[in-house]
Amino acid sequence: MKDAVRKLNVEYRFNLNDQEIDRVATQAEEAALLFQPLFEVDVTGVTPLTKIDKRVKKTAAVKKGKR
Amino acid sequence: MKELDLEALTIGEIAPLIRKKQISPLELTRRYLDRIKTLNPTLNAYLAMMEEDAVATARRAEREISKGNYRGPLHGIPLSIKDNIATKGVTTTAGSKILADWVPDFDATVVERLKNAGAVILGKTNMHEWAKGSNSINPFYGTSYNPWDTTRIPGGSSGGSAVAVAASLCLASLGTDSAGSVRNPASLCGVVGLKPTLGRVSVFGGVPGTGGYTVNHFGILAKTVKDCALVLGLIAGHDPKDPLSADEPVPNYVKPIGSSPKGMKVGIIKGGYFDEGLTNEVRHAFDEALKMLKTLGMKTQEITIPHMDLVPALQAASTRPEANSDHDHYLRTRPRDYSPGLLYGLIAGLLIPAPVYVTAQRVRRLLCQEFDTAFESVQVIVAPTLFTPAPTIEDCNRGYIEADGKRINLADRAGNFLTRYTIPFNVTGLPTISICCGFSSSGLPIGMQISAPPFQEGRVFQVAHAYERATEWHKRTPQL
Repeated sequence: MKDAVRKLNVEYRFNLNDQEIDRVATQAEEAALLFQPLFEVDVTGVTPLTKIDKRVKKTAAVKKGKR
Repeated sequence: MKELDLEALTIGEIAPLIRKKQISPLELTRRYLDRIKTLNPTLNAYLAMMEEDAVATARRAEREISKGNYRGPLHGIPLSIKDNIATKGVTTTAGSKILADWVPDFDATVVERLKNAGAVILGKTNMHEWAKGSNSINPFYGTSYNPWDTTRIPGGSSGGSAVAVAASLCLASLGTDSAGSVRNPASLCGVVGLKPTLGRVSVFGGVPGTGGYTVNHFGILAKTVKDCALVLGLIAGHDPKDPLSADEPVPNYVKPIGSSPKGMKVGIIKGGYFDEGLTNEVRHAFDEALKMLKTLGMKTQEITIPHMDLVPALQAASTRPEANSDHDHYLRTRPRDYSPGLLYGLIAGLLIPAPVYVTAQRVRRLLCQEFDTAFESVQVIVAPTLFTPAPTIEDCNRGYIEADGKRINLADRAGNFLTRYTIPFNVTGLPTISICCGFSSSGLPIGMQISAPPFQEGRVFQVAHAYERATEWHKRTPQL
């Protein structure tokens, strides 16, 4: 990951020092571990969510004063 | 003219008096401006005042109302706006150094709607840098201080907005919420904070890079549930300028207020997600709140969300690449004008592969379906807003709190631990409110979230108001 950060450092001209490169690399490594379980979910046939829609199915409605 | 006790005022109470000409919008506005001048040096809630505009608007409101042209419940009402929401002719910094001098030549849609409703905008409120954090310790504009204890953070990123409402420096404030930035400070400052359904309120005019796209919302901070409902009714609705805004009709949000929630089922998400880090004081307050909901005739039911533990990954995988998309230009041109911590995070975000982002959006759909299924058996879901009352500024600087004999880190692999309890409702876009449900032994407010299915803000208000009416928490005010 450090090499990838060094590459970005050159491309974006961040002027990061070695300590900063280490810190960013550690964060990126931790993020990669965090994201790993997402790929263990079966998303076959599932399209990305882009907008929240009103539910089609009605929720169990509660009528006032009735049980 | 009625005597004005600013600390006790709410929009719901004062609007009818303005309509009846018993309260002068001009006098009201001047009282708020005076109070801000007195208290803002201590609290740092406002970054910029709009005094001239506010007085002119209030004067116009008074003139219109005296002629019988009352526009509605926000006419002549003094409000504030978070500084990442564009205001025409007024600096909009997003709490950043980079935008320190940016003066938009347009209003955000919500600002335009507030102006059309006759609201008086007092000024722009302080916030966490670029809304990328939740303590409102801002290296460029100074920290906003919690009015309940000024050694503590107000939360964030809409920290200044929450402080302004809690300290009675306005009647309500607009904030933004991509990870809890409305509900988190509302909880820590003891006010009401609403994050509506994703798309319910237009986010046109939000500063790019302060919230992303898939989980960002504009929200409302106010003193009461009814005040939130009144404001939402005037800012909600489709906006052609925001392609992600929903084309759903806007109901009368005040109507459900006062209806009994008796018979409703309250979902409690089991599996330990909301136990992580939970302090005893918050647990106790939340348990007591559940008892009150039962007293109101509601029943609790445990529900299961199978992919709940993936929420922090989904949140990070969504917001970080979106932030990078917005920040790329400034990262290339002005990287050292970010605070170091934020800069490192943004650079790390550049290394997230595209499949992570897309997969996260697919898993989000599954998660939303799981919540939909849960809502087939319950009407609302409740959870604590945060695991702790407000940490001290010192806690935040060292990175942990100590509670119940344990050390709890304020950041983990997923990022900001202070947002752990709020992000499930960003990832799912569900309408969610935070209301005060108690106080800690040291007098700090504690918040509870109430969430409902998409576009069911009315149900959120109904339950929250019933709880609010049955308790006295919202009547407490900080000693200033």
